[in-house]
Amino acid sequence: MLSRVADSIYWMARYVERAENLSRLLLSTQDLLLDAGAEGVDEAQFWQPLLATTGDEESYSKLHKKIKGKDVTEFLALRADNPNSMLNSIRAARENARTVRDQISDEIWESLNSLRLFVESAEGKTMHRTQSAAFYERVLRGSYQFQGIADSTTPRGEIWHFLRLGTCLERADKMSRLLDTCSGLSLELPPHAQARPLRWAALLRSCSAWHAFQAHHRRLDPSRIIAYLLLDETFPRSIACCVAEAESALKSLCADAGLKGMPLPLRHVGRLRADLAYTTVEEVLATGLHDYIDDLQSRLNQIGEAIFHTFVQHADLSLLAEEAPVESIASGAYHAQADEDLQVQQQQQQ
Amino acid sequence: MSSLFNDYQPESFFDEVFSKAGKARPHYGAMLDSVGSLTPSEYSARQKAVDAAFLRQGVTFTVYGDDQGTERIFPFDLMPRIIPQREWETVEAGLIQRITALNLFLNDIYHGQKIITDKAVPSELVLSASHYRPEFRGIKVPHGIYIHICGTDLVRDGKGDYYVLEDNGRCPSGASYMLENRNAMKRAFPGLLQQLPVRPVDAYGSMLRETLAHLAPDSVLDPTIVVLTPGIYNSAYFEHCYLAKQMGVPIVEGRDLIIRNDRVFMRTTKGLEQVHVIYRRIDDDFLDPQVFRKDSLLGVPGVINAYRKGNVALANSIGTGVADDKAVYALVPKMIKYYLDQDPILPNVPTHLGVDPKECAYILDNLDKLVVKAVNESGGYGMLMGPHASKKERAEFGERIKKNPRNYIAQPVLQLSRHPVFVDDHFEGRHIDLRPYVLCGDRVRVVPGGLTRVALKKGSLVVNSSQGGGSKDTWVLWDDPLDMPAETTPAA
Repeated sequence: MLSRVADSIYWMARYVERAENLSRLLLSTQDLLLDAGAEGVDEAQFWQPLLATTGDEESYSKLHKKIKGKDVTEFLALRADNPNSMLNSIRAARENARTVRDQISDEIWESLNSLRLFVESAEGKTMHRTQSAAFYERVLRGSYQFQGIADSTTPRGEIWHFLRLGTCLERADKMSRLLDTCSGLSLELPPHAQARPLRWAALLRSCSAWHAFQAHHRRLDPSRIIAYLLLDETFPRSIACCVAEAESALKSLCADAGLKGMPLPLRHVGRLRADLAYTTVEEVLATGLHDYIDDLQSRLNQIGEAIFHTFVQHADLSLLAEEAPVESIASGAYHAQADEDLQVQQQQQQ
Repeated sequence: MSSLFNDYQPESFFDEVFSKAGKARPHYGAMLDSVGSLTPSEYSARQKAVDAAFLRQGVTFTVYGDDQGTERIFPFDLMPRIIPQREWETVEAGLIQRITALNLFLNDIYHGQKIITDKAVPSELVLSASHYRPEFRGIKVPHGIYIHICGTDLVRDGKGDYYVLEDNGRCPSGASYMLENRNAMKRAFPGLLQQLPVRPVDAYGSMLRETLAHLAPDSVLDPTIVVLTPGIYNSAYFEHCYLAKQMGVPIVEGRDLIIRNDRVFMRTTKGLEQVHVIYRRIDDDFLDPQVFRKDSLLGVPGVINAYRKGNVALANSIGTGVADDKAVYALVPKMIKYYLDQDPILPNVPTHLGVDPKECAYILDNLDKLVVKAVNESGGYGMLMGPHASKKERAEFGERIKKNPRNYIAQPVLQLSRHPVFVDDHFEGRHIDLRPYVLCGDRVRVVPGGLTRVALKKGSLVVNSSQGGGSKDTWVLWDDPLDMPAETTPAA
């Protein structure tokens, strides 16, 4: 498979997952607000962690002085000038799909193209304004549909493995950010039995873990929640699970490519998987959740970079050195704001 | 006679469907019964369903103008154009004759130039064509074929006679729309296609693949073929992708390819893989910055050298644009006579050459009656529709012709044939042309039918998609279904 194609497929999967996570996050925050009751609630407290999760506090503050639900949801969902918005994630997923349209099934392509037509449509914008929950659910369904179709139409070869890699690494990254927003919260449960630890419950809901967690643990004990989302080996959105899945995809890719020994991405991902398997939640809390997650995120980034070097850029470029300097071999993927030069240049050819 | 066509007026034009008001040509009978029995709202519901499907599937082309480069669907009119067997057999024979002569001509002028030595065509006219590439003289190309994929434009005049308007021997586009239009018809009118012996077009992908595989060096048993695209912002990107998918070959951009030791490789996740045949959808000028335009980032530096050495094949070959020059086009009947000793089966539109002083004077005296075209423009650009132009426009064009007569040709205004097209809630006549696709590999194959393009604007004669054109499915209707030729060739 072309390196550029691999890169685009990886990013297509990441962007779909990104849009899905953002939808769920917006949905659960809205629910949390409703649960908290309207009286005397400081809205900003609920929306600020969302901006922190997506890393958009700074760009938001350039547009709006105050943190208000209406502004934050619009900024995260539909703003075309926010490169991380749901709209732009779906566009980027769809543009990447377009560059590899000959490689993916027609059904995958159509599902992404329909989703993008929906979020760009006047109907979509009205729905977001009047019934935002229905809008987020539509995006969620779009992502589920994409994953279901990908699962049932993609041959279990390279394309499949790059799809899985993109999905798992994005999911792990977003889960780590989500956990980080709770790192400042108290781990103590409220004193009386009826009190509901709303933030922790919302955390579970925002990653579809509510029922799965309830089935295992009756009590919403914060440290158990952290352990579940970080270290559990059975829940498909836990970081340990995502990393194990990424490792399995990478093993297949390295074997397919005939890479000998222990290629760099496999070493990074394997080491992280082992660490997660042998770490206890007490150790995590002793380190401090925030610091632990900081380290985890840089290790996830390291894996992403190693994948890029190994499969897209080719670490072993000695063969090519004379004709093509390494720097000139760019990523093939489409990103929300990276294509202007290329677009201009290709248009000139018209 | 059914209601949808009751008020249809063919007027004074040659109408594909009605020989006169209320009188249908026999090959349209079954279809008129079926389409005509629909109410306007039923018909328009089917049309809308097809449009929505095209949008969902991204069967689009890119329009520039705003910042995003909007994707539009290529307007599609549901009512198919039908060509009866006997008519098609003539068209097909004419196209095969023409591509054969054109390839012999290209091989000749890039080698011995016998046709020039024998004075069958004027030397200065051919060699001054701006797409003639003298640096390619003497380079051997696989099997001596230069044009592998040709999209000839045919029109019919007021009497219904077919003429060749252009040959399009560089990178003709539109085949994907021909295929998608047929798919849409299968959804919209399944019963009709089942009932009528319409020749299928869906073998195009495998025919194209075979044509390309034929070009690979003989030593390569299982050649790697790629489609080279300028990228997703090119207006025809959908087509590039679609054809790659139909053939089951990768679509690549210039940056995916790299040259080592005059061989072409693509960069894959498993390292470098050699490429043997490139179906390039990039013009000569942008193909290789080492040879042609230095500022092109779309091409592949060194690919021309690899081609010269015979390590990779290009389709179409370099320098085929010389045959697309509209002044050289005028010589094709002479080529057919010279190389094949035959008369053309499909005539040219009578063409006056600006380069000939007598004809140039005639053009300048008759600007109000003629269509004047720049020899290297296409897509409906760079032309003057004499009868519709203002005095000032004609005067300006006249000056341009005087300054550079070689660059212009003129033709009489043809009253192109018309076909009913659905407008709002009824049918009206619109001008059409036909672009059949001709493939030239181990033998010449013509896809039955092609893309019928429609000038959707009332009265307009310009069918190009960039100028408000649309398309129709084209049905080649066989007399006897049992007699229909097999569309696929047996595996070699």
